[in-house]
Amino acid sequence: MNDKNKIIKQTFQKVFDDLEVVLGWKQGFDSLHMTPAFIRKASDLDQLVFNPQCVQNLSGYLFSTLKAADPEKQGKIGICVKGCDSRSLTALIQEGLVERDRVYIVGIPCKGVVDVKKLRNLKPSLTEISGITIEADEVVIEADGKTERFPIADVLAHKCLQCRYPNPLIYDALIGEPVTARVAQDAARPAVEQLDALSLEARRNFWLTEMDRCIRCYACRNACPMCVCQDSCIAETRSPKWLSQRSDISEKFLFHMIRTVHLAGRCTECGECMRVCPVDIPVTLLMEKMNCIVKELFDYEAGIDPESKPPLQTYDSSKTGI
Amino acid sequence: MTECYYISQNELPAVLETVSGLMDVWVPLKTGTHKTAIEFAPFTPGCRPIFDRQSTSSPKSVLFPQSETLFKFRYLKDESDPTRQTVALTDLEEIRPALVFGLRPCDARGFLVFDKVFLDGIAKDPYYAKRREKTVLATLACKTPDSACFCSSVGSGPGDRQNSDLWIIPIDDGFVIEALTEKGREVLPRFGKPAGESQIKQAEKVQKHIDGLTVGKADLTGAGSEFTRRFTDTEFWRDQVSKCLSCGMCTFNCPTCYCFNITDDAHGLEGERLRSWDSCMFNHYTREASGHNPRPEKYERFRNRVGHKFSYFPERYDGMMACCGCGRCIRNCPVSMDIRQIVRSLKENADV
Repeated sequence: MNDKNKIIKQTFQKVFDDLEVVLGWKQGFDSLHMTPAFIRKASDLDQLVFNPQCVQNLSGYLFSTLKAADPEKQGKIGICVKGCDSRSLTALIQEGLVERDRVYIVGIPCKGVVDVKKLRNLKPSLTEISGITIEADEVVIEADGKTERFPIADVLAHKCLQCRYPNPLIYDALIGEPVTARVAQDAARPAVEQLDALSLEARRNFWLTEMDRCIRCYACRNACPMCVCQDSCIAETRSPKWLSQRSDISEKFLFHMIRTVHLAGRCTECGECMRVCPVDIPVTLLMEKMNCIVKELFDYEAGIDPESKPPLQTYDSSKTGI
Repeated sequence: MTECYYISQNELPAVLETVSGLMDVWVPLKTGTHKTAIEFAPFTPGCRPIFDRQSTSSPKSVLFPQSETLFKFRYLKDESDPTRQTVALTDLEEIRPALVFGLRPCDARGFLVFDKVFLDGIAKDPYYAKRREKTVLATLACKTPDSACFCSSVGSGPGDRQNSDLWIIPIDDGFVIEALTEKGREVLPRFGKPAGESQIKQAEKVQKHIDGLTVGKADLTGAGSEFTRRFTDTEFWRDQVSKCLSCGMCTFNCPTCYCFNITDDAHGLEGERLRSWDSCMFNHYTREASGHNPRPEKYERFRNRVGHKFSYFPERYDGMMACCGCGRCIRNCPVSMDIRQIVRSLKENADV
């Protein structure tokens, strides 16, 4: 067990009696895949790990886990968060969906997570590894007794390549030393700029081609910590029926556009929607664009300050011109 | 081996192009900007089919489209009695013959499950039946199972020839292709030339190697009684599925999941009746017209998925599992749910 894993375990051990459950990561079906862990017994804390394969944003589970928790006990939920995850958690607090004093947050500074799909594309047969470490501009992968180095762009998740908040912004305990952000806080977003540079027609075609592949599995929505409507989503309501079951681009496009607008000023760019998409639609780019607009109009970023209110959730009749 | 043809890797694109003039040809392709997902898509000149790993999505959409128009309808006013309407129906369009080239034995087995449901039951599904009749399945013997694969655990294997029309064995610089059915024999002569002795020998060696592989550790068949015993163990199920996101990724990419919904899509007096994929993982899947939902919770829905695949289906269809062990629901799951582990847990803790 490496040091970080040990410290995570000890941190939770100290407060375990006050916790109803601990949300962390453990090894999944092979050493490449980590999976969310719901720890209810102190003896299971040994399973907890943290490494660049801990991709999932666990804050998405908080709302339902709190709802299912014993209302008498008012126990806390212990949770591990990376920098990006901590923004989602903050956004949930901002919107009144999670009470700050019902969570015990273990923050973990993060150098980035692996995009398993990119990695498997590079090395199709890779399933068992002995370790992945992230250096300044390289990812070092040890597998089959060999060490291979890859440029970070080839292996890390899209969100990590432009990560401005690698350190958790909200926590009760911090594991290890803070890390330096890969880009400056006001850094440009190359992917968004690239799309913005296209003509309207070309940009439209880009999205039509991308979204045409959508299979409407709604993994993007269900993995999104801020998609809180879940089972009452407009994608599935029958009355009124907003979308038909036709597998047409118009239906798919409408769904993604409505989702984008619902997340305006709320999305914390955890990148889950893009990560989970089985057909590789760069859903996050829509959110990023929307966040640029929100930043410009309201000088606001979601999930930074638990006390501030998302601009589209306030209504001030004295303000005009927006 | 009888009736074997050999085609080199270099010659294959030209052949697929010729065949695509006669029938729809579906091959596994990398799609999208990021080129990490592989799905079955129509062959186009210049495309590069991916044979070295399993496709992300299954080829089921070839025979069972995500959404299909069953028929079109139009309401007509009855001129003699304005209070009455008649309805005119337009049948479905003609279905073109198709070749699916490069699916895996697990994918072919998925269609075996479909056949049971759509062809062998009390009612034959005409939409599926027409496509099935006109589709040639050219299956690639599987040399590259990975850590999510478990076809041997469900009574199949990487060399399982059942349900394929053509059997493709990858050798050094090309493929040896064998016809297994009459449908396969009709298209076989288009694939290169009769295989030579050394090519056949090489193919036999590869086949022998593949037949010797056991993919998946545990035997997951015969879990019906354990499932039944565990059915009411709410705590077990809640615990097993707490991380599930309730998305439809697993079922939509599954070669054996065939659940569908039927909706009418009408504007004014005209419309279409659609059949589209549904997922038992969705909350509204079982929601009744009254508003009552017999499976309101996530664990109930997941339990049903396990039960359907490993208990109810084999009980109904002579022990055949509604799971082909392709591992897509594990490999592509956003949170790495592992259905194998759940079925194993059913068996391991059977006495609890």
